[in-house]
Amino acid sequence: MSATTTMRTLPGPAKNQAVSRALGRRRYRMNRLVKVLCVAATVLGILLLASILLTLVWRGAAGLSVSVFTQSTRPPGSNGGLLNAIVGTLIQTGIGTLVGTPIGLMVGTYLAEYGRNSAMANAVRFVSDVLLSAPSILIGLFIYQLCVEPFGGFSGIAGCLALAVIVIPIVVRTTEDMLQLIAPSLREAAVALGAPKWKVIVLICYRAAKDGIVTGILLAVARIAGETAPLLFTSLGNLNWSISLAQPMASLPVTIYQYAGSAFEDWVQLAWVGALLITVGVLATNILARVALRGRRAS
Amino acid sequence: MSEAMSRTQDQQANFGGMHARSNSNLNETRISIRNLDFYYGSNQALKHINLDFPNRQVTGMIGPSGCGKSTLLRVLNRMYDLYPGQRATGEVLIDGENIIDPSVDLNALRARIGMVFQKPTPFPMTIYDNIAFGVKLHEKLSKAEMDERVEWSLTRGALWGEVKDRLNTSAMGLSGGQQQRLCIARTIAVRPEVILLDEPTSALDPISTLKIEELIDELKNDFTIAIVTHNMQQAARCADQVAFFYLGEMVEVAPAGQMFTAPKERRTQEYITGRFG
Repeated sequence: MSATTTMRTLPGPAKNQAVSRALGRRRYRMNRLVKVLCVAATVLGILLLASILLTLVWRGAAGLSVSVFTQSTRPPGSNGGLLNAIVGTLIQTGIGTLVGTPIGLMVGTYLAEYGRNSAMANAVRFVSDVLLSAPSILIGLFIYQLCVEPFGGFSGIAGCLALAVIVIPIVVRTTEDMLQLIAPSLREAAVALGAPKWKVIVLICYRAAKDGIVTGILLAVARIAGETAPLLFTSLGNLNWSISLAQPMASLPVTIYQYAGSAFEDWVQLAWVGALLITVGVLATNILARVALRGRRAS
Repeated sequence: MSEAMSRTQDQQANFGGMHARSNSNLNETRISIRNLDFYYGSNQALKHINLDFPNRQVTGMIGPSGCGKSTLLRVLNRMYDLYPGQRATGEVLIDGENIIDPSVDLNALRARIGMVFQKPTPFPMTIYDNIAFGVKLHEKLSKAEMDERVEWSLTRGALWGEVKDRLNTSAMGLSGGQQQRLCIARTIAVRPEVILLDEPTSALDPISTLKIEELIDELKNDFTIAIVTHNMQQAARCADQVAFFYLGEMVEVAPAGQMFTAPKERRTQEYITGRFG
């Protein structure tokens, strides 16, 4: 009843079909233009990425052989491998993740569940975000002052700690974000059963945020597996086989850094192989974790 | 204190067996609210509420959105404690104890007063673990006892037949109506005295709603129930007594039959006949 009244007394001139069609054509042209620009930007990005990956596979695969995985680095011209660098990277990435992840998880939990918008939480959040984008060479220098100079030498453990410092802010950020995404009703439901706060967090929130938190940890692993700068001042690199954490330790990124700039053809070739190994390793870790998470959710 | 003990024993004696409707306290008051005021910061959401919840009966709470009925429900299990800036003054008495006193053990209180929410809130774990989660918070049971408890509560929640073959699958795979019955079963499993239902069927289809309403009718044999609903027919079907709230005040409380046929207050009459809301 009131609707028809409004229709009859609609203000302004009558609708002009020609104007309406012109506006429609303009929208259509604009849509086409933006679409073309978007597609072009995507193609450009993918082409660049593909070109990097293809070059890497092309140059890296040429140098792949059994001796890469069985021999340590040797003087130029004597057919060495990358075994010490591969194992060194696995050890330092592994320990760095193991040390940094629990700290990052706890800080992220504090920010999301306890501190929230307190002055303390805001300060911690700010520092963590600054650390997230700090140049990694500064972190190397920091650990150098803390763990290398006082103990009189470069060591594997110093490398692990430098990598752990890089892991922390990444895990803090993803943990906090993921915990904040959980619906308040889920928390309330657990509280309504008489659960104390820590049980709500550990048994309900972590479980609900599991996928996101694991993704954050994987991002951190991928990041530190390829870090070079923080290792230059800490674990330094080692041309010989050594898995002692008290001694300088080899790693793939540092070996790549040293070999790629050398004048020896076989060293340059090994650098390509090392780059390929890191890329494939990080990719494989990511894919495996995703498949594992998806498999468990489906069951 | 000894009264609380004997009640627990009474419940344990009844557990699993035929739950003969207790003869002694049919007309007793389970919760009585006296002069309750509630504030969100400086905004007063409840004004001088006085209301009694009779033992083992269903009290329905109706009123337009924002009238304070859900707020009242969240006072009864102190859910508002989660949020700084929310506070209540007055008395909410259970067995003579004022539960809005700051010294009350909240986790123990929430074991006595369970709550089911508007949207189903299954935990991201198996159906079995959803039930066991609450029980483990308050009791130490053997595996066999826990199995028995899970079966008992799912049966009481009218869900056992549908899930007994897939207790170890994720609760997230259940339909909305099943999830809500799981949440009710999960609440019952802790064996509370009071169950608070906050619009428990507003997100469900008519068939699921019917099942939940039948369930409420069955559960009032053992539990005191408070239900907030926007559905007048639901209040008429489920509730023994109905309270009407408007702008933070409780306008009227009466037996359901009388409330919907001969309300005393003009505002009540206007609301239930659909003149505002």
